[in-house]
Amino acid sequence: MKQRLALWLDRQSDRLFILPSVLMILAFSIFPLLLSAYLAVSRFQLGLGGYQIRFVGLANFAKLLFGSEQYHFLGVFAPVAWPGWLLLALLAILVLASFRHYLRRGPVNALGVVGRTICVGLIFALGLLIATTAGLGGRLGSLSVTLLYVFLGVSTQFVIGLGLAMLCSQRIAGRSFFRVVFFLPLMVTPVGIAYMFRMLADMTQGPLAPIWRWFGLGDLSWAAQAWSARLVVMVGDSWQWIPFIFIVMLAALEGQSTDQVEAASLDGASYWQIFRDIAWPEIAPTAATVVLIRIIEAFKIIDLPNVLTNGGPGIATESLTLHSFINWRTLDLGGSAAVAYMLLFVSTVLSASFFNLLMQPLRRARS
Amino acid sequence: MTVELDHISKSFGPLTVVHELSLTVEPGEFMVLLGPSGCGKTTALRMVAGLESVTSGNIRIDGRDVTDVAPKNRNIAMVFQSYALYPHMSVAENIAYPLKIRRLPQAEIDRQVLEVAAQVQLETLLKRFPRQLSGGQRQRVALARAIVRRPAVFLMDEPLSNLDAKLRGHMRAELKHMQHELGITTIYVTHDQIEAMTLAHRVAVLNHGRLQQIDTPHRIYDDPANIFVAGFVGSPPMNFVAGALQNGRFEGPSVSLPTALRLTKPGVQLGFRPEDCRIVGGGAADCLSGTIYSSELIGDHVLVTCRVDGQPIVVKAEKSFDQAMGAEIGIQIPASRTNLFDLESGARLRSGSP
Amino acid sequence: MSAPQSVTARKSFFESRRFGELAPLSKVVVYGLLLVWTVVVLFPLYWVLITSFKLPIDVAYPPKYLPFIDYQPSLHAWRYIFVDLGNDTFRPYSNSLIVASISTLLALTVGSMAAYALSRIQYRPRLGSVVVFILILAAVVLAVAAGGVDWRLAVAVGLAIFLLALRTLGRRFKRHLGNGDILFWIISQRILPPVVAAIPIYVMFQKLGLLDTHVALIATYTTVNLPIVVWLMYDFFVAVPKDLEESAQLDGASRFRIFIGIVLPLAKPGLIATGLLVLILAWNEYLLALFLSTVRAQTIPLLVAAQNATRGPQWWYMSVLIIIMIAPVVALTIALQKYIAKGLLLGAVKG
Repeated sequence: MKQRLALWLDRQSDRLFILPSVLMILAFSIFPLLLSAYLAVSRFQLGLGGYQIRFVGLANFAKLLFGSEQYHFLGVFAPVAWPGWLLLALLAILVLASFRHYLRRGPVNALGVVGRTICVGLIFALGLLIATTAGLGGRLGSLSVTLLYVFLGVSTQFVIGLGLAMLCSQRIAGRSFFRVVFFLPLMVTPVGIAYMFRMLADMTQGPLAPIWRWFGLGDLSWAAQAWSARLVVMVGDSWQWIPFIFIVMLAALEGQSTDQVEAASLDGASYWQIFRDIAWPEIAPTAATVVLIRIIEAFKIIDLPNVLTNGGPGIATESLTLHSFINWRTLDLGGSAAVAYMLLFVSTVLSASFFNLLMQPLRRARS
Repeated sequence: MTVELDHISKSFGPLTVVHELSLTVEPGEFMVLLGPSGCGKTTALRMVAGLESVTSGNIRIDGRDVTDVAPKNRNIAMVFQSYALYPHMSVAENIAYPLKIRRLPQAEIDRQVLEVAAQVQLETLLKRFPRQLSGGQRQRVALARAIVRRPAVFLMDEPLSNLDAKLRGHMRAELKHMQHELGITTIYVTHDQIEAMTLAHRVAVLNHGRLQQIDTPHRIYDDPANIFVAGFVGSPPMNFVAGALQNGRFEGPSVSLPTALRLTKPGVQLGFRPEDCRIVGGGAADCLSGTIYSSELIGDHVLVTCRVDGQPIVVKAEKSFDQAMGAEIGIQIPASRTNLFDLESGARLRSGSP
Repeated sequence: MSAPQSVTARKSFFESRRFGELAPLSKVVVYGLLLVWTVVVLFPLYWVLITSFKLPIDVAYPPKYLPFIDYQPSLHAWRYIFVDLGNDTFRPYSNSLIVASISTLLALTVGSMAAYALSRIQYRPRLGSVVVFILILAAVVLAVAAGGVDWRLAVAVGLAIFLLALRTLGRRFKRHLGNGDILFWIISQRILPPVVAAIPIYVMFQKLGLLDTHVALIATYTTVNLPIVVWLMYDFFVAVPKDLEESAQLDGASRFRIFIGIVLPLAKPGLIATGLLVLILAWNEYLLALFLSTVRAQTIPLLVAAQNATRGPQWWYMSVLIIIMIAPVVALTIALQKYIAKGLLLGAVKG
């Protein structure tokens, strides 16, 4: 009997190996995803003896985009200032160029066009949003704040991380020491980082207070100003995530072929010429991958805005995840799910855009 | 352009890889550094290139001391074993790179690239990328990139070792012809003694970081300076038998034969090449006695492996040879073709040596 | 031949003497920048450490930077957290330990099995079956949420319909998906912001009466970290040569035995590196714990966040909590770093 069981198990082994993973993901990822979709189109009401979920169509989304939650989600609109126009112009050029490139390149199919239109449309809409809410008198909503964290944060992190990697890839003593130390912040618990930076940023009794006062800013409280609060959140976020970019780019730089570098030196190239002509083309795909991973993760930011500033002042530092959580706390399950779905939509489309518009052409150029 | 290596040494911490190497490469000469892996030949080459620092000694190119000069200022070009082509640049861009760094006008760059590409027959491949090329084509690109610099010295680090045997033979001829045409002083590193013998004007044999012999290929082969050189060069390698020299006669357990040296010495090694000896009937005088172990028909000759005192001895016989395995035979060597080496030091014994 | 003394001296400051080494000026700049960043990294950690030994008056302005010099360190905060609040501190800590380690073990087991299967077996699920499955799942969800149908009944009925549909409709569609699609599906779960699934998972566990338990957290954490395990281990298994397994197969070993006896030991470094990474991620997890636990299953990040609201200004207590929270991950990170230095996990990222 035992033998027959063993034989049967072996024959089923193909399925048994993959089944647990599939089942778990279905149960705790896909199933909740669908349930959340339903919640997003319904209203949750606590009543006598229980609760009631009523189907309300797209009312939750309407509330976010046009209704009473608009100030929270999108922000307060104001006339567009010149930086806003500049941003819009840049985006317009970018998206038109990418569309033209796509149409020129080769086989065009319906799915591709639809997909690209969605990506391009969203990018432009978001640009428009930032341009109109970031001006004087306008205020950013949680969507714009999240976008700010993602794009401004990731760009800064990439530049600094790559710079550190370039420094560490030189012939220096104590390279392994620097490597361990620089890697550390990545794994420190984000809640801990939030509190550490809360202490560090305290300008009345924190370690940087003397410097703050010396600059004559003694009365200024960074937590009461929208932009300074966001800056502090981004500083904390960067402290944690620069190591990620650092460690990956360092590995990429160290993995280069020394022969090519030596040949280029013999040919007379200086360090920067070698970096521009030889090293950068080689590490560019890795750089794109690491930025993509970072963008995907950055959309989920929650610990820092929650613990460091509690979303404040007002809602100035609230990320989309935090917004959703606050709705949940106030038992507005429908609104919470709606915000969560908007986050999912925006992060997926932007990540896919980055992949398709930036990385695929890179890959195609190499093969 | 003359290249002088003046007692150069290289140590990595306690480990010394090159010991006081001294040699001079004449202008236009094709000098090959030959030796087994780890003998320091590549390190020596890299010191000439400036990619390794010199622990002690001097390097001079055309009389100018370049020991502390940066590689790019030494006016040398190098072909790497892996070719070191830039993968994301086309063939033309690869060849043009040294000129682009020197900020030559684009028209001039294009002209020179075309000229050099013609020299190595790459005109039709200029727009391709390295990953689309075969091994031999890639090697020619590496060569072209080196030539376009019009350097004073060519350095080559085992450039043929990544090619298959047939292509290697073809490229050897190409390289020799090209070097002759361009007349650039060349230093070439290899562990393949066939390459050394066929390409070089002179060969410098290295072992354990020390120079063993520097001579024309002919003399390296016929007049080796020590047992290492004798055993390293030649395929199949030279046979060695240990014994004693008694007044010009080599005596061993299964051998007694006359040599060209009038000496008496208790510990010597007798060396002779497979093509210099022949197999005679067992029991003959003045030869080594042994048995046939195996014989292989190579094509135009037969390689016979014999056992003398439990040791293998290889003899080249005519292709009609067909004696049975295990047969008792004798191996005869003309006295003029015998080489004698000191058993301890390995140095070659010549008339007049102690 | 030699240039005047001053020119060579100036030149040598900007140029390196030996190939590959930095010029003296560059050395100063490089080391300088690296040291600046070292301070940036270590200072916050240093600050937390010394603050945990400060008395309340030591925290007030002006700030004290050096223990024993600027102030006298005291253990009062440590004593308070460990002794006075003993159990309140111990419980979240042990919760974190239990949840993190068990979920990591589970994720490694389930995930590496899936990664191994994907690297060796060719799956070809029919696209039609997948579509039908999703439709039925949506219907079940709708029935449970809107129709108020008991979830057990809905799931049972849904399963029955699905199996039926498989045998009839499923066969109609010829189009197949491949391993690449399955892999992509699993790995793309990582794009999903946890907050989207958090609320339904909360509702699910509430219905099952499992809120605020270890089980809920362990199940959720395992699922969240599965994609990472699969992604990283897949690359490892692909690199293991198939010859060993094939010869074992010829000897009659079952797939399980080959997996456990041959493949896993070969992939041990990858397993350890991935395991360390997942352990750290599970330990640090905050959002899902926020939704799913309140008191009994409270994890340490949750405790710190909660205390932030009440004890926020009491830096000395908070510092102690933070140190005990991050000490394990710092140790794990140093261990993990050794594996990363060997280039172990980065192959996956580069691809």
